[in-house]
Amino acid sequence: MILEPQKRISAKALTVWKISGVIKIVISWILTGVVIFLLHSFNGPFWISVLLIGIELISTYLFIFLLPTMKWRRWRYDVRDEEIELQEGIFIVKRTLIPMIRVQHVDTVQGPILRKYQLASVIINTAATSHEIPALEESEAQRLRHFISNLARVADEDV
Amino acid sequence: MFEPKRLHPIVIVLTIGKRLKDTIFSFIALFFIWNKGGKLLLFGAIAIAMIVIVLTSFLSWLRYTYRLEHNELRIEYGVFVRKKRYIPLERIQSLDISEGILQRLCGMVKVKIETAGGSGTDEAEAVLAAISKEEARYIQEYIAAAKNPIVHEIESVQEIPSHPVYRMTPSQLILLSLTSGGVGVVISAVLAFFSQLDDLIPFERVFHGVEQWAVSNLIIIVLLIFGGFVVAWVIALIGTMLKYANFNVTKTKHDLVISQGLLEKRQITIPLTRIQAIRINENIVHQWLGYGSVLVESAGGSASNQEGSKVLLLPLVKIDAIENILGPYLTDYQLSSSFNSVPKRAMLRYVFRSWIVIVPVVAAAIFFLKEWGLLSLIVLAWFTFWGILKYKDAGWNLEGQQLNLRYRKIVRSTVFIKKNKIQSLEMKESYFQKRKELGSLEAFVKAGFGGAGGTVIDMDQNDVKKVYSWFSRRS
Repeated sequence: MILEPQKRISAKALTVWKISGVIKIVISWILTGVVIFLLHSFNGPFWISVLLIGIELISTYLFIFLLPTMKWRRWRYDVRDEEIELQEGIFIVKRTLIPMIRVQHVDTVQGPILRKYQLASVIINTAATSHEIPALEESEAQRLRHFISNLARVADEDV
Repeated sequence: MFEPKRLHPIVIVLTIGKRLKDTIFSFIALFFIWNKGGKLLLFGAIAIAMIVIVLTSFLSWLRYTYRLEHNELRIEYGVFVRKKRYIPLERIQSLDISEGILQRLCGMVKVKIETAGGSGTDEAEAVLAAISKEEARYIQEYIAAAKNPIVHEIESVQEIPSHPVYRMTPSQLILLSLTSGGVGVVISAVLAFFSQLDDLIPFERVFHGVEQWAVSNLIIIVLLIFGGFVVAWVIALIGTMLKYANFNVTKTKHDLVISQGLLEKRQITIPLTRIQAIRINENIVHQWLGYGSVLVESAGGSASNQEGSKVLLLPLVKIDAIENILGPYLTDYQLSSSFNSVPKRAMLRYVFRSWIVIVPVVAAAIFFLKEWGLLSLIVLAWFTFWGILKYKDAGWNLEGQQLNLRYRKIVRSTVFIKKNKIQSLEMKESYFQKRKELGSLEAFVKAGFGGAGGTVIDMDQNDVKKVYSWFSRRS
């Protein structure tokens, strides 16, 4: 049995994901409202409206409560001297290994919501793939970026 | 040069120009759509858009800084989302210096920094849109010094000794042309032919006219379709022959050199050290005949130069012969090997996966077409067969420092990857896979711009973990 990665991402990530969930859900409620209004004014079948509202209620629960929590619980990462390991995924659990010598460059990215909560995402690029660790504490993200880009410099020339 | 520097302000003009170019069409479209009075409003909107463009261009120039620090090129940019990109100098593959008209007016140059990385995004490489020539030269020297303190010797003019590796025989060329005449080419040619058919044959009369008429026309149509296929096939055949005639592989000291073509000669050089993976592709006809083609995935090229990334090394060759032909030259690789197949309990999942798309179609066909719809069951049988084929083909093996993966999408691919060429490795496990103790494995290698690699679905969980810990550097 291989141990799963140990570090969790910031607990504030949950709040951020919930907020972005709320934003998405509000937009989709508005759209649903428009559709139902149109259906109503063109005398469309009633059951469609009921169905739509049902779907909206379920996805409200999913996107604001269930999915962010599950996503947060699953998210783990480890940055070791020689490799980076990530674990993510709600239904499909995905674990990724990135050897440190394969890292090409590291980015930190911070959108408006993340900035408000002093969080940042770290994006790790290899020559072929790119991987994101979402929502880390700003200081932790900074530290990681320095740490990784320092270690990545121990490069061999064979890429 | 540790203090952050900005680009020359001419960049603002460049950015404005680029953004205008991107938006001008929507302006023009708006102009035509907006014909119900209120032109003033439209001009107002356009004016505001202009101001926004100018302002953001200015801000993005203001925010864009670069500096050389701690052996890294550090670029910070972004107006709303602030980004920092640190590129270790060792990772920089090449500097591409060019001058546009605007840059030339101010005596500036544009420097494109290419790393080996594609990472899938457009912004994988950094561009310094306008810096002075001295600055560019300084960066160039700085990077060169950081990368290798020893100056490379200029290659001697003497002729490099080369060993012939492989030469395609005429009979192989014919077999290749006959069996892989570019299915896509054939199909598109036939489709093009069909669209012409519309004009030639009066379909309306065929459908509305006398029965006799239709019958005789049907024969003509069938003949035309058949003829079209034959013509397309022959064209593809000749095309393949011209492309791969005189196919010849030699090895010089550090490179594999492939030359091919009759009318248009091509020569491809692959540095041996840049080979990322060896791939054997077998389409179903070739597989049945015991043939396959060998491709080399190499880290060559950038976005603009796709050539060097996936190169056909042996277009068509007996599978048993590959080891003998390439073995002496690609000494790192073990090309003949046995494969561990995926467990039996995975078979159903393979079949179900190929059913997902087709079952609704079949159900709909039976529902709407009644008896005739039953014919679609043939298609279902074919998909089932294909699923089982995929299951049978899936396999993996570890040989020392080498990972071998075998899987089928359309053709059967066998990939040989060295551990130190794998960019990243993933293992995936869905809820249903977990219940059956299965998992998927995916390995990424670099090939040209972006990635390539291999993936095997529904391996035994323990096998996935075995490969995973083989790759892990954790002791």
